[in-house]
Formats: sequence, C-alpha cells, structure tokens
Amino acid sequence: MESNLAGDSIPGPKWRKVAYGGMQIGYDDNYTDESFLEEMVMNANVVRRDLLKVMKDSVSISQYLCIVALVVLVWVHTLESSLDENSLLLLDLSLLASGFLILLLTEEKMLSLSLLLRYLVNISFFTTGLYILAPIYQTLTRSISSDSIWAVTVSLLLLHLFLHDYSGSTIRAPGALKTPNLTSCISVNASIVASVFVASRLPSRLHVFAVMLFSLQVFLFAPLVTYCIKKFNFGLHLLFSFALMGLTLYSIYALHRLFFLVFLSLVLLVNVVCPYWLIRMQEYKFEINGPWDEAKLCFDITD
Amino acid sequence: MAEPPKLRVLMVSDFFFPNFGGVENHIYYLSQCLLKLGHKVVVMTHAYGNRSGVRYMTGGLKVYYVPWRPFVMQTTFPTVYGTLPIVRTILRREKITVVHGHQAFSTLCHEALMHARTMGYKVVFTDHSLYGFADVGSIHMNKVLQFSLADIDQAICVSHTSKENTVLRSGLSPAKVFMIPNAVDTAMFKPASVRPSTDIITIVVISRLVYRKGADLLVEVIPEVCRLYPNVRFVVGGDGPKHVRLEEMREKHSLQDRVEMLGAVPHSRVRSVLVTGHIFLNSSLTEAFCIAILEAASCGLLTVSTRVGGVPEVLPDDMVVLAEPDPDDMVRAIEKAISILPTINPEEMHNRMKKLYSWQDVAKRTEIVYDRALKCSNRSLLERLMRFLSCGAWAGKLFCMVMILDYLLWRLLQLLQPDEDIEEAPDICLCHHRGVEVSEGLRKKIK
Repeated sequence: MESNLAGDSIPGPKWRKVAYGGMQIGYDDNYTDESFLEEMVMNANVVRRDLLKVMKDSVSISQYLCIVALVVLVWVHTLESSLDENSLLLLDLSLLASGFLILLLTEEKMLSLSLLLRYLVNISFFTTGLYILAPIYQTLTRSISSDSIWAVTVSLLLLHLFLHDYSGSTIRAPGALKTPNLTSCISVNASIVASVFVASRLPSRLHVFAVMLFSLQVFLFAPLVTYCIKKFNFGLHLLFSFALMGLTLYSIYALHRLFFLVFLSLVLLVNVVCPYWLIRMQEYKFEINGPWDEAKLCFDITD
Repeated sequence: MAEPPKLRVLMVSDFFFPNFGGVENHIYYLSQCLLKLGHKVVVMTHAYGNRSGVRYMTGGLKVYYVPWRPFVMQTTFPTVYGTLPIVRTILRREKITVVHGHQAFSTLCHEALMHARTMGYKVVFTDHSLYGFADVGSIHMNKVLQFSLADIDQAICVSHTSKENTVLRSGLSPAKVFMIPNAVDTAMFKPASVRPSTDIITIVVISRLVYRKGADLLVEVIPEVCRLYPNVRFVVGGDGPKHVRLEEMREKHSLQDRVEMLGAVPHSRVRSVLVTGHIFLNSSLTEAFCIAILEAASCGLLTVSTRVGGVPEVLPDDMVVLAEPDPDDMVRAIEKAISILPTINPEEMHNRMKKLYSWQDVAKRTEIVYDRALKCSNRSLLERLMRFLSCGAWAGKLFCMVMILDYLLWRLLQLLQPDEDIEEAPDICLCHHRGVEVSEGLRKKIK
C-alpha cells in the first residue's frame, strides 16, 4: 500500500533500501543505487606505525636474545671447564644480589620486612631443594649420547625464544592480576628442561647445582627484572639493553669469530630489518568492515 | 501458444526437508510457487538417513535424494568431481534449462553449479547468509565463493546488505545480483482469534540458543526488563549450548515463574507459541534477513530486534523497534515497545504482512531472474577460463586447471555414455491438467 501511495507522486518514488513491499516501482531487483556500499569501512583498526618507535619496541627482543646468549656462553665455559664451580657460585650470588637491588630500586611500593623475610625463606627452600636434587640431575642422561643432548637443548632454547612473552613477564610479582598464558608457560618450561639437560653433562654435583641455580635465576627472574626496569624508566631500559648487547658481543667475539658475525646479524635483523619490513608490509593491509559483520558484544561473557 | 515456454528448474542444495531451516523453507516454498506458475521444478539434495532416491512432495515436486552422506552440519564431503556423473544424469533426464543453487556453505550446490556451467546450462545462485572477512574460515569460504560465482549467470541475495556482502566476497558485478527477499506463509501464521490480555505482557523469544543468535544478550536483558516491569513475562523457545546459561539466569534472579523455557520448538508449533505473546524479541548478532521476524509480525506481534545485517530492511519502522546489540539499548527498545503496544492491532498487522511479503511475489521475481539468465549469451571454454584466470595470481591458475579437468571428465562421460543413451523421465500430469490433456488428445485425433 505504501508503494502504491508513493507511486502517485511524480517523477517517481525514490529508491529505498528496504526488502518489504515487493519490487519497487520503476526499479529492477538488480538495481544498484549510488548508496551501494556506502556503509563499508576500510582499515578502521589499522594503526599507522612510526619506524623509530617500532625499533625501540624491538629492543626488548634483542635484550632477551642477549640474555639467552649469555646463558649459553656460561654453559659453554662451564662445559669446557674454564669456569669452575666456585666462580659460578660467586656469579649466582652476585646475580641474586643485583637482581634484588634492582627490584628494590624500581619498585613503587616499599617492600616490607616480612615480605623480604618471606622472599629469603622461599629462596632458601628453593636452593636447598635444588642442592638435594643435584645428584639426580647429574646422572639423569648418562645413557643418552651427547649429540642428542645438544640437539634437544638447542631445540628447546629455540622453542623458548619463539614462545617467550616479550611484552611482559611470566613470573609475576605477588598480587598481580593477570595469570600467564599457555605459550608463556611452555616457554619457561622449555628453558628449564634445556638447563637440566646441560647440567646433566657436568662432572660434579656442585657444578650441577651451580649451573642449575644460575639458569633458573636467569630464565625465571630476568624477564621480571627487565620488565621492572622498562616500567621504571625507558631510557634506563635502552641503556641497559645496549650495555648487555655490548657485553654479549664482546664475549662471543672472544669465543668464536663466526658466532660473533651470526649473532651481530641476528641483532641487526631484529632491531633494524624487521621493523622496516613490518612498516613496508603495512601498506598491503586491507581490512573491510560493514553492517554485514557479526556484532561484537560490549560486555564480557562469564560462563 | 502466446505464452513463453515454461522453465525447467533444478534446485540444488545440501539443505532440504526433512531437515528444517530458513534455506529449506525457502527452497520448498519457492518451488511450490514456481510449480503453480506452470514451470517444472526438481530438487536435488543429499540422502537424509533412510531417505535416499526419488521422492515426490506436494504439488508433484520431485526430489532427488542423491545417495551422498552428510559429513558435517548437513554438508556433503567436497569431492569436486564426484557429483559430475549424477548431476549430468539428472540434468539430462529432466531436460533441465536452469540450475538454481542455494546457500554458500552447500558443497553440493557449488559442485552442481560448476558441472552445470561446464555442460553449458544456465545457472543462478542464491546466497542466504552473511559472512565477514576477518576469520580464517571466512577467508577460505570467500575464495571458494569467488571460484564458484566467477562463471555464474545471475545471483540472488535476500537483502540489500546481503547483496553488498556477496558482491564484496565474490567479486561479482552488482548488476548481476538481484535482491529478492524471503517471505512468509501468512496463511500459516495468523493472529490468535482472541488476543491475550495486556494485563500481563508476554515477550516471546524463539531462536537457537547459540552465541550468534545473541543468547548472551538475553541473559543480560531479561532480568533487567523483569525488574523494571513487574507485569512482564518471557517465553523462550529453542535449544542450544547457551540453554544452561539462561537456566542459571532464571535461578540467580528467581524468575522461574516469569521466564518460561520451552526447549526445542518444532516448526509446526511455532505459531501456537507466538500467538501467546505480545512482543517478539530477536537478539541475533548477525542476520542476512531473519524470517522469524516475519513470522512474528504475521502473527500480530510487535518486534524488538537488534540492528544487525539486513534486519533494518525487513519491516516498516512502525512494526519493529530496533536497538543496538547492547543490553541497555535493548532494554530501552523493549520499554518503547511496551509503551506503543496499545496502538498495535494484530489483525491489521497480519493484513499488512500479506501485502508486504508473499511467496508468489518471490516466485514471479525469481522468474524474471531466470529469464535474464536465459538471455545471457553462451560462453566457450576459453572465455570461461579467462574469467577464472582473473580470480587471482595463483588461485586463478588453479581454478583454470580445475575447470579444464572438469571439462575433460565431462567429455569422457559423453564418450562412455552418450547423451542419447540417457533415458528421459516422463513428466507427471496432475489431476487438474487431465482435461487439457484429453482435449489435446482429441485435437490430435481430429488432425
């Protein structure tokens, strides 16, 4: 009826984007109006990125690459017996002290004495347990050939690097709201298993204990420390990262020239090439939204 | 005769009775109305349980339940070439002139369209759903659709939003896409002879309780409306994974006496559920058309719906209250609907629905699409390959290889069993045509 009423007017009814009322007078069913696709939105969620900012953000990845490289260096030196257990234990203690110091300096709220005591008690229990388990680790892979051990260790470290959470920290400070996601947990576990494999190739239980303690300190708490530094001051974060890069490159250079070149290329790739590549690829981003999209609910579904 | 020659249409889809849904309903009613217009209609679908072989439905509608088993969500396994022999046999036996495929997610539909195009038949495709562009499933589905529709004659969508969506996904020219909506059988959905009293306002929800139908919105909206209006009650029909959430909502807010959960409602009982209410609530997050709204309006219910997809096109503004898919806006829309409820006349609304939507109108418009398809010029294999080549740098070449192989297989089938050897099925003459047949017989005797 509305169509009939509208049909009386001259020169003819305007086309309407409606489905009811049968064929619209004067228009075929395949008529395409000028308003066709006018509600389409392209690239609504695309963020224009700045090259310098992307490079700054990628420093976190390089920083952690350097940390893992340093751990591998310590493993190599220990396996070659150029680093004895006393030096390792001294390194463990200094790392622990410096880590605590950094946490104290960068923490917003003051640590209470009871919390500090709780930390100390936990660390004591942890260290004692590790010392007791050291003989088991030492003989764990006695019947497995060294080639398999090295291959599995390298694979686990690569898995650790790929699944690592570079934007935060898997180990949270007490009272943190968010729980770590699955890939982050897999990453940490891969690194710990790799440490166990390396430790099982060492001659004495004190060696095993020292290496395990060192590895666990780095893999578990280094992300937390670096995260606190970055949160505290970004400039300090950059300074720390570049110092770490320098230390790592120097240590690798002293060990092997070819590895130095490979690692330098890797750092440049992560810091310079990939950010540039990301920005170049962004021009191919093509995203379409419109009224046909499924509506997104604005509240959380709590099942 | 002066009349144009009658068409012989093959409807193809994985979705048909005894399965039930919007696509099944559409194919059935469209076929019935085309039969009434004098055309010959045959349906091809896969086997449903024991139902395998040829069946006849109301009005002489012939259905081929091809012995193909569904493997996920009533869709057959994609074999690409496996359906070529039986499609060829059916097309030949029934002397088909137009092949009409339904639904983008129907494997049988895409394969039949491909084979029919290879054999030189005219093909039409109807899209019944909306899909996005972001998730992995949609990306692959859109590529398949681009392949399937690259060589199509005409396409039909059920709403203008659906037309925009299909044009973007498949790369079809908009001039090839017709907008022909769904309809509703108004004789089946009539208002109650005695309207329920408005002392207690009943809001009816009938939909599957899944995420896409906005069941989570209901969980937020129903308690709030019950709190604001003590005289409102809800009737929720339908089953699904979110059923437990609604039950928990009832328990949590002590609404057992005001929210009635019916569970799954067979389609034959939908009308009797609708007429118990005053307002119909649709909370879908995405809809190409939404037939449920038509059914409710035909029963005289005022509709409250989310403003998604093609829903704003379905009803005039005074028959529907639209809201954003947000609990607060939905509650406001229900408040507005309750305030204008006294002005609603169910019988008047029903009569308006008769004029706005009818399957006869849909069939006439579809007939126009078939005529346009038949007027399209025939294309040689090389021309068709050029179309497939433009689908993409790598996909285009892959599509060409698929089509060349399809052509060669068809030629092989023709070599093994020529077209002349396939027996043509005789047409069934119904009772109301018998007089005409007798007259023609007499006329022939006289000659």
